[in-house]
Amino acid sequence: MACQKMTRAAKRYLARLLPAMTLYVLVLAGADWLFHHHPPSGWLRYALAVAPAIPVIGAIAAMGLYLVEEADEFQRTVMTQAMLLAVGFTLATTTVWGFLETYAGVAHLPGYLVFGIFAAALGPAGPLVRWRYR
Amino acid sequence: MRNRLKVLRAERDWSQADLADRLQVSRQTVNALETGKYDPSLPLAFRIARLFGLPIEAIFEDEA
Repeated sequence: MACQKMTRAAKRYLARLLPAMTLYVLVLAGADWLFHHHPPSGWLRYALAVAPAIPVIGAIAAMGLYLVEEADEFQRTVMTQAMLLAVGFTLATTTVWGFLETYAGVAHLPGYLVFGIFAAALGPAGPLVRWRYR
Repeated sequence: MRNRLKVLRAERDWSQADLADRLQVSRQTVNALETGKYDPSLPLAFRIARLFGLPIEAIFEDEA
């Protein structure tokens, strides 16, 4: 998609995804700093703990909206298949890691990294699916 | 599914980008259709047929 002309839906997708990811970095850095220097208590503690997840949920929504808005059916098919490939990879790796944690004592994988694994898998999944249609 | 898109396009001297513009899809979509790796939905198949002024079965070959 990078070297080709992007569809309108793809441009909108990036216009939503990039601010969400920037916001994620900022909110995460801010929340992390606060928890280390001025840890809040009570309900504020929960609110601040959840804050970095909100931009991530925004990114997930942007992906869903892309599938809804993409008028080019082939591009939609490519993205759908790439997402399924990335979901499969994420489920497989986190399942394997979970058993390694339980029975082999490897380090704990925090749940918030699961989306990162999915996003990292989605990167190469797109070109891989596209390549199959060449 | 095999199809005559490439021939029909060449007859009109259109590039893949020209055909993509006329169908309001991306050039990659035209490419995937021409190689026969991607089968269009019925609405897109009808759009293609209308553009070339041919029935669908004169463009797409049923291999079954």
